[in-house]
Amino acid sequence: MARMKFLADAERCIECNGCVTACKQENEVPWGVNRRRVVTVNDGVPGERSISVACMHCSDAPCMAVCPVDCFYRTDEGVVLHDKDLCIGCGYCFYACPFGAPQFPQAGAFGLRGKMDKCTFCAGGPEKDNSKEEFAKYGSNRLAQGKLPACAEMCATKALLGGDGDVLADIFRTRVLKRGKGSEVWGWGTAYGKPDNPQAKPPQGAKS
Amino acid sequence: MIEPLFESKPDHTIMYLFAKKLGFADQLVGKKDGKQNIKVKNDEPDIEDITREFNRGTWTIGYTGQSPERLQAHMRNMHVFDVKTLRARGGKDAKTGYVLDGDYFGLPWPCYGNAALKHPGSPNLYDTSKHVMEGGGNFRANFGVERDGVSLLAEDGSHSKGADITTGYPEIDHVLLKKLGWWDELTEDEKKEAEGKNWKTDLSGGIQRVVMKDHGCHPFGNAKARALVWNFPDAVPLHREPLYSPRADLVAKYPTHDDVKVLWRLPTLFKSVQEKNKEIAKQFPLIMTSGRLVEYEGGGEEQRSNPWLAELQQDMFVEINPKTANDRGIRNGEYVWVKTPTGARLKVVAQVTERVGPDTVFLPFHFSGWWQGKDMLPFYPDGAAPIVRGEAVNTGTTYGYDRVTMMQETKTTVCQVERAA
Repeated sequence: MARMKFLADAERCIECNGCVTACKQENEVPWGVNRRRVVTVNDGVPGERSISVACMHCSDAPCMAVCPVDCFYRTDEGVVLHDKDLCIGCGYCFYACPFGAPQFPQAGAFGLRGKMDKCTFCAGGPEKDNSKEEFAKYGSNRLAQGKLPACAEMCATKALLGGDGDVLADIFRTRVLKRGKGSEVWGWGTAYGKPDNPQAKPPQGAKS
Repeated sequence: MIEPLFESKPDHTIMYLFAKKLGFADQLVGKKDGKQNIKVKNDEPDIEDITREFNRGTWTIGYTGQSPERLQAHMRNMHVFDVKTLRARGGKDAKTGYVLDGDYFGLPWPCYGNAALKHPGSPNLYDTSKHVMEGGGNFRANFGVERDGVSLLAEDGSHSKGADITTGYPEIDHVLLKKLGWWDELTEDEKKEAEGKNWKTDLSGGIQRVVMKDHGCHPFGNAKARALVWNFPDAVPLHREPLYSPRADLVAKYPTHDDVKVLWRLPTLFKSVQEKNKEIAKQFPLIMTSGRLVEYEGGGEEQRSNPWLAELQQDMFVEINPKTANDRGIRNGEYVWVKTPTGARLKVVAQVTERVGPDTVFLPFHFSGWWQGKDMLPFYPDGAAPIVRGEAVNTGTTYGYDRVTMMQETKTTVCQVERAA
């Protein structure tokens, strides 16, 4: 069984926001809710890099650990999903998440947040696959249709990859070998665990 | 490929309907004396017939070998084309028996001769390492054979691979073909058509066939590339200051062209505008450049009308260097006025960034719907206003045209930026 992961390659991202737009369209995400966003560091100065950020579907997900109503669950492909019928909008997951993934569409009196919304890896929710109810609450269920997340599929430079973690790692390893730099996979240590030997140097190759 | 959505129609149907309305539909489809070149069904001209029609009319540029049958065979057999070289390795179309071997996918222009010549298309315009019938080529003899006593033709030994003529040569016509002794390689029918013609006007395609297939030469000749463009005002590109320049000293040193009374039918000003504005930097010291944001396109009308995209850029902005901003008392995110020599004033949000230097500001050109500080929302028909509106940068750009192409200067001028009170 594949373990689904996202991989954002900062050497390739051109900050076109195609992933953000694909996500919004595929899942009909309302204005102001950002399941996925592009974050740019060192904006406008040499060394500027952009990365596409959403829920990373962590191996040991902090959101799951802190949720007081236990609304999160993990699919057998490693996708972290939640049940909006159980969610009480407390916002603990938002504080726990290292990626700022949980979104709260509503704002109201007394800090009322409404049900949490986040990236589902285009895998819907607990309702019947591709049902009307599932789409209304969670958006598209592309995995159930044999497709990968819309954001990664849309990425023009293939900076954002989504799919079987082993396949992604193979693709990324080939890229790093070819270009001889940029071996740090942004967010993977946090989301999927630190490597056994963090001091290991990437193989040196000719710059592409 | 998708079917046209909603009320949309195929391009050629729209053209036919216009032609019908304007009264020249018969000419459009070549209908005369009981004959008709292009069939029409439900107001849609036949796309294969259209392709044959432009194949017939584009001999001068090598757009003649792309017959619908060849293109369709490519579409049915994409798998036989190498993804790197784009070239078919073997392969025979099951439907027509057409042999695909050696064709470049989609027959990239130029693809010479008629379809029967089977020119494979040209992935690169200049590639002397290949035979002309393998997609090779050399520079075209398009500017005569000599100038000021210097030959413009290719030097001896410079030719596409396998050419029978290993020196430079002019473009080929019926006289040269006879002199070369190649005339009798034409069929009798081709001779009738080619007599008195050159490779561009011989509609039989015979001259192209003989020159390319039999002798490995290029029908348009074999010449040198031209770096000295003697028919342009500057034979080699010279620096000339823009009409609205931030540097009066550079205007004196690198003045623009003289005014032209008739340039492509229109009087066009150069030096008089520059002279009048040579001190413009005293009032407008910043270079204003405009351009594209990677997520938007053109005037941004489509993007700003689509909620998924409108959300990405909700304010028209100006990128301004921290030094320039601080000197003017401008903070990041504040409204500023961008003023230009036309008298225009654009109210936009300041984005303080080192992406631009202290002498330059940048504005994206994807906005419209504001006019000099006012939102024009009340003037849009109901439901037609984009979700996000802002100043259009072209409200502020100034006069100026390219001396050769007449392309207007709509991207750059000079400006001053002030904090909006």
